[in-house]
Amino acid sequence: MIKGSTLGRRTFLRGIGTAAIGLPFLDAMAPALFASTAPEAPVRMAFFYLPNGMIMDAWNPSYEGKFGELPRTLKPLEPYKDDFIQLGNLTHNTGRALLDGAGDHGRCSGSYLTGVQVKKSVVEIKASVSFDQLVANQIGSKTRFASLELGMDDARQAGDCDSGYSCAYTNNLAWRGETQPLPPTLDPRVVFERLFGAGQPMTPAERARQAKNRRSILDFVTEDTHKLESSLGPSDRRKLDEYLSSIRDVESRIQRTESDNRQIDPHMDKPYGIPMDFAEHFKMMSDMITIAFQADLTRIVTFMVTREGSLRAYRELGISDGHHPLTHHRNQAELIEKVRKINEYHTRQFAGFIEKMKSTKEGDRSLLDNSMIVYGAGLQDGNLHLHEDLPTLMFGRGGNNFKTGRRIVARRETPMCNLFLTMMDRMGVHMEHFGDSNGHLTGLDLG
Amino acid sequence: MPQFGRGKPAAGAFFDSDFRTIDNVLAVGLLHGLQGKGDCTVAIVTMSRPNLAVAAYLDVIERYYRGPAGNFSQVPPIGLCTDGSPGETSPAYVEPFQKKKPDGTPVYQNEVKGVNQTGDPTLLIRNYLQAQYEQNCFFILSGPATNLAAALDFQGVKELLAAKAKYLVVAGGAFPFGPAEAHIKADIPAFKKLLAQWPTPIFFSGNEVGAALEFPGASLDKDAAAAPVDHPVADAYRANKMMPYNAPSWAMTAALHGARPKEGYFKLSGPGQVSVDAEGRTAFSPAEKGNHQYLIVDPAQKEKIILAYVELATTKYVPRRFGKAAAAAADDQEQQPPPKTLPPTKK
Repeated sequence: MIKGSTLGRRTFLRGIGTAAIGLPFLDAMAPALFASTAPEAPVRMAFFYLPNGMIMDAWNPSYEGKFGELPRTLKPLEPYKDDFIQLGNLTHNTGRALLDGAGDHGRCSGSYLTGVQVKKSVVEIKASVSFDQLVANQIGSKTRFASLELGMDDARQAGDCDSGYSCAYTNNLAWRGETQPLPPTLDPRVVFERLFGAGQPMTPAERARQAKNRRSILDFVTEDTHKLESSLGPSDRRKLDEYLSSIRDVESRIQRTESDNRQIDPHMDKPYGIPMDFAEHFKMMSDMITIAFQADLTRIVTFMVTREGSLRAYRELGISDGHHPLTHHRNQAELIEKVRKINEYHTRQFAGFIEKMKSTKEGDRSLLDNSMIVYGAGLQDGNLHLHEDLPTLMFGRGGNNFKTGRRIVARRETPMCNLFLTMMDRMGVHMEHFGDSNGHLTGLDLG
Repeated sequence: MPQFGRGKPAAGAFFDSDFRTIDNVLAVGLLHGLQGKGDCTVAIVTMSRPNLAVAAYLDVIERYYRGPAGNFSQVPPIGLCTDGSPGETSPAYVEPFQKKKPDGTPVYQNEVKGVNQTGDPTLLIRNYLQAQYEQNCFFILSGPATNLAAALDFQGVKELLAAKAKYLVVAGGAFPFGPAEAHIKADIPAFKKLLAQWPTPIFFSGNEVGAALEFPGASLDKDAAAAPVDHPVADAYRANKMMPYNAPSWAMTAALHGARPKEGYFKLSGPGQVSVDAEGRTAFSPAEKGNHQYLIVDPAQKEKIILAYVELATTKYVPRRFGKAAAAAADDQEQQPPPKTLPPTKK
């Protein structure tokens, strides 16, 4: 047990050349004598972006205030209904045509976190610094990674993805500068090595050698792990063991995917680390978000679950039509039902992530309590292509700030950027305006 | 909002009022009627007193004229100021909700149950200005200048107004000079700010103009084409006072001039500058480079103006969409007697 000295929050388990594993918040990191004045856990934020809007009759309940019966798409979130706020009437005016004609999908994702009307062009892209990156610029130096950008679908940065809008708009959420999107990483292996490697991605030869020997990245830090364990109390030892097990679990699943993929089709386009199964891919990525937050490797994540305008066919649900074409349902009941199923399927995957965040303890609270996780879409109804009342859920209490378990409906046309301004405040970054905001979003606080 | 593939639309109309008098409701109907003739496109309706009951009825009118939400468009919210006194609620805004269809269901549905189903006026003005082409919209003010003055303070709006708006028409004051008028008196600082900072030319339709041109209420019951069954503007008018009565048309004069400035409905003063004193009395001073003009009643045009009022203030919804819903609405429209026609609009 550590006595008289405190374990640093930025302690890493280091191995021979290839591994550097951050640690979760342990009791040993807070001086026992000063436990009551231990520093507040950091607030994290993440965005889970869903494309093509939602079927709104299965998204919005008919009431405001404390949650009662949840609508169908939100049903998988029933066990966590005390942990989130559903926001109504938030609008991205800059996602609308505003004289630029067709291309609502290109605009809605391009403006989602940037809050600006993006330039309609396939070659001359122009947006603005997204708000997550404004926060990353301010607080990113406190963690190993200023931010993480993840995705599961398509990371093309060129070409026309919607009526004259570049794929850079539909495939990215985070923008470092007006012309600099931050493409999402799709391959869980790449994310894993980035999080737990020593900074240098493994060469194919190194990776092959490691795979051949069936070694885990944890094997490289065994010595450091034993040393640390011997200095920890029972509670911290259990916490460390659970944490390292979760890393090992992700790693095993990545290895299994790589192995399976090689057997399925050695010539496949996708990198070997990307699972064919949507749910498995989602779980790997979201588990790594949890671990990254737990170890304070980053406090900012954007996750483009599938790209805006995604054509993905959800065959695992028996749906062979593409997601985007289905959302142009022309009020045909059969097509609407398929979209509802897809919406519900996405929410079910997300519920697994929330369970993990909630069950991960951090001091007196959960990791979820100390976070702001936005789950939402850049379009309201994919058939109508509306940019008002955007589907938006916010999970977590942002530390101890938000009163959750209710639906809050703002005035119509309230800028989505008002929410971002409020989230920036909670992240310790204070601005008067962002995008087209006209103030902070009120009514979220504990009061 | 303007949509792709349809070319440059008719000028956008922004209507702001306190809706204390029935002419404001008629003016909203008139603007929609003018939209049907291709003379303007109603952008938004905003209100300068926090009266939710009135906003709820205005929402009925807007939904009536705009039809159901369709691809790429939704009925915009009524802009509702949340400061100040709600003031009186005329029966015009309440009684129509009691009206029932033969099957017992209400003719008009109230979909505005709370403030969050309305919008912030300054935000709406900013958002809908962004959707206008350069120099292709106009504003009508028929009430205190509270909302427009607040919009001038909103980030970027003054620049947007200068770029997008052609002019503002104010129904208020008395010209060339006269006693203090209710709209001006209600918020004198806001009116002063408007005079000092509004970046486009301003036309004033003084109290004397609307008072000289009364809307003939009896026409609603005489002319089925002008007032189809279950029309929210006509029903509001009927509920406002014991029928038949005529109503001064202050707001309608401003709307008519705003949408058809070249039609010659009104004579215009030379250029000048309007000022307002501490009691709310307005005065006009001629000035060669002045940005203000006021409307003057032309007796020769009176009949033509009243005809336009009767024909256009209570027109039926004209579907603007394709598909079954539009076809059904068009069939329904054909069953109505054909409307009277006006002389072609001078462009």
